[in-house]
Amino acid sequence: MTAASAPLVSIQSLHKSYGPHIQVLKGLDIEMKPGERVVVIGPSGGGKSTLLRVMMGLEKIDSGAITFGGKPYISSSDLAAKTVIDTEVRRSIGMVFQHYTLFPHLSVIQNLVLAPCKVRGEKKASALQRAQALLERFGLGAKANAFPAQLSGGQKQRVAIARALMLDPKLMLFDEVTSALDPELVAEVEQVILQLANQNLPMMIVTHDMWFAKNIASRVIFCAGGVVVEDGPPEQVLGAPREERTREFIDRVFHIKQ
Amino acid sequence: MTLDFSVLLRFQEALAVGLWTTIKLTLICVVLGCSLGFLVGLARTSPSIIVRGIASVYVEFFRGTPVLIQLFWIFFCLPLVLGVELSNLASGVIALTLYMGAITSETFRASLKSVGREQLDACIALGLPRHVQVVNVILPQAVLRAVPTLLSNCVSLFKESALVSAVGMADLMFVGQNISNNTARPVEVLTIVALIYFAIAFPLTRAVTLIEGRILKKLAI
Amino acid sequence: MNYTFDFNAVSLGPLIEGLIVTLELTVAANLIGVILGFPLALLLMSRIAVIRWPATLFVEFFRCTPAIVQIVWFFYCVPMLFNVFLGSMTMGILALGLNLMAFNAEAYRAAIQAVPREQVDAGIALGLNPFQRVFYIVLPNALRASIPVLLTNGIVIFQQSALVAIVAVQDLMYQAKTLATETYRPIETFTIAALIYFAVSFPVTQVVGWLERRRQVLTS
Repeated sequence: MTAASAPLVSIQSLHKSYGPHIQVLKGLDIEMKPGERVVVIGPSGGGKSTLLRVMMGLEKIDSGAITFGGKPYISSSDLAAKTVIDTEVRRSIGMVFQHYTLFPHLSVIQNLVLAPCKVRGEKKASALQRAQALLERFGLGAKANAFPAQLSGGQKQRVAIARALMLDPKLMLFDEVTSALDPELVAEVEQVILQLANQNLPMMIVTHDMWFAKNIASRVIFCAGGVVVEDGPPEQVLGAPREERTREFIDRVFHIKQ
Repeated sequence: MTLDFSVLLRFQEALAVGLWTTIKLTLICVVLGCSLGFLVGLARTSPSIIVRGIASVYVEFFRGTPVLIQLFWIFFCLPLVLGVELSNLASGVIALTLYMGAITSETFRASLKSVGREQLDACIALGLPRHVQVVNVILPQAVLRAVPTLLSNCVSLFKESALVSAVGMADLMFVGQNISNNTARPVEVLTIVALIYFAIAFPLTRAVTLIEGRILKKLAI
Repeated sequence: MNYTFDFNAVSLGPLIEGLIVTLELTVAANLIGVILGFPLALLLMSRIAVIRWPATLFVEFFRCTPAIVQIVWFFYCVPMLFNVFLGSMTMGILALGLNLMAFNAEAYRAAIQAVPREQVDAGIALGLNPFQRVFYIVLPNALRASIPVLLTNGIVIFQQSALVAIVAVQDLMYQAKTLATETYRPIETFTIAALIYFAVSFPVTQVVGWLERRRQVLTS
C-alpha cells in the first residue's frame, strides 16, 4: 500500500450499546483516507453522534476496533469487557461539540492555551501568541479576554474550534456544531470549517444542514439503524441516492413530495 | 413601661468583648469547618463504600440533630470520653467546626456534582490528564459555584454560634443575657444584642445575592 | 478512656414525655408557618412599598438573627412590652411559629418567582384572566415546587425547638438536661436524646431528597 492510499482511520465492525437493550452501533465499517472530509447524515438515534463520541474515545465499545494512521487506537477485548484506548493517539484527534463546552471560568484565550500548556508543556508565551493569531484569523481577536458567557453562540463555537486546533489535530470531529445556534449565526461557524477544509484538514462531520454537507463533503455516509446504509460522493448520496432508505430520508429533509 | 437605652452605654465594652468572642469563634470555625467540609464532600464522592459510608453517617447525624444537643454533648461528654479537660473555646470550636463541616460538605458535594458531563468530555477531547482536569477545570468551577451557598453557610454558623452562650461561653449573647439580668432591662439589652447580630448577618445575606447576580451571571456558571 | 457506660441508668419515660412536647411544638409551629407564611409571601411581593417594606423587615429580622436570641427576647420582652404572659408552651409555639413563618414566606416567594415567565405568557395566550393565571398556573406550579423547602424548614424547626429548653419549656432537650444532671450520666442521656432527634429528622430528610430527585427527573 502506498502512503497516499493508506487509510487515516479504519473502523472495523464497531458495536456499541447503552445498557442491555439499546444497541446504537451494530457493526460499523468505515475507512477514511487522508484529506477526506466525511459528512455523516441520518435520522436521529441512528448512531451518528455515538460514532463521533466513540472515535474521540469518550465512550466504551462492546466490540470492534479502530486504527488511526496505521496504529491501533481503540479496541475491545471480549474477555475483559474492557475498552482499550491509546491516549497518545487520542491526542491527535480534536472534537467540537454541539453545546460548545467551553470552560466557563476561563477567558477565551485561557480556554485556548490550557491544553497546549498542560498537555504538551508548551511555553505560555508561545501558546498565547499562537492563540491570539488563531483568534485573529477567526475574527475573534478582540474577544481574547472575554468570558464565554459574554459571547454569542456563533462566537462561542468558533472559540471551541480554535481551542481544538491549538493542538494541531490530524483529524477533526464536528458533532452537530451548528444545531444549537440561531439561524443567522450558522454561517459564521460554517465559514470557519470551510476555511479548514481548504487546508485539507481531514474531518468527520455530523450535521443536519444539507446545504453545508453538500458544500464541504468529499464523501457522505448515510447512517441509520446503527449501520452504514450508503457511502459515496456527495453528488451520489445527496443527489441521486441508490438506496431506498437514503432516498426517503433525503426527500423528507428537502421536503420533496413525489 | 418606658424604655431607656442609655443603660447600655455603661456596658459598651463588655458587649464589644462578647462580640469579639462571637466573631473570633465564627472565623476560626469558618476556616476549619470549610476545610473539613471540603474533605468530607470529596469523601462522599469516593469510590470506596467505607469512606463514603463514614462521611455520610457524619453528615446525616450532624444535620439530623439539634446543634444545641451537639454542643452539650461536646461540652459535657467529650471531656469524659477523652479523659481530658477542654477549654470553653476548644469545645466551642470543636462543636461548631463539626456543624460547619457537615453543612458545607453538602455545599461542596452539590457543586462538584453540578460540573456537567460535557465539561469532562471537553477535557478528554483536549487530552487533558486527570490531574489537570481536576485542578484546572472541575475544582475552579465547583468552588465558584459553591461561593454563594458557602457564604450562606457562614451566616448560619454566625447565628448558631450564639448557642455557645447556653453552655457558659462568654459570647455576645451570653454577655447580653448577663447585662440584662443585672440591669433588669431585658427589652433594651436583648433588642440591642439582636440588632448587633442583624447588623452583621444582614449585609452578608445581601452579599450572597450580589455575588449570585454578578459574578456567576458573568461566567454563566 | 475509663468511663463505663450504663445506658440502663437513663429512664426513657421522661425523654418520651419530652419528645411529645417537642412534637407538639413542632406541629403547632408548622401550622403557623405553613399557613401564615403564604400571605406573608404575598406581602413580600406587593408592589406597594408601604406593605412590602414591613413584611421584608419582619422576614429579614428573623432570618438574620440567631434563633436563640429570638426566643430569649420573646420570653423576656413580650410580657414586659405588652403586659401579657401566655404560658411557656404558648410562648414557645409563637416564637418558633413566627420564625418559621419568616423562613416559609421566603420559600413561597422564591417558588412563586421561579415559575417561568413562559408559563404566564402561555396563560395570557390562552386567554386566561389575571386571576385564573394565578390560580391555575402560577400557584399550582409554585406550591409544588415549595414542598421540599417547606419540609426542610419544618424539620429545622423541629431541631431548633430544642432551644426552648433554655427558657424552661419541658421539651426533649430540657428533659435530657435534667436527666443528665440527676443521673450523672450525661453521655448516655445526651446520646439517647440525640438519637431520638435523629430518628425523627432523618426519615423526613430522606423524603425531601427523594422529592427533589423526582422533581429533577420530571422537570428535565
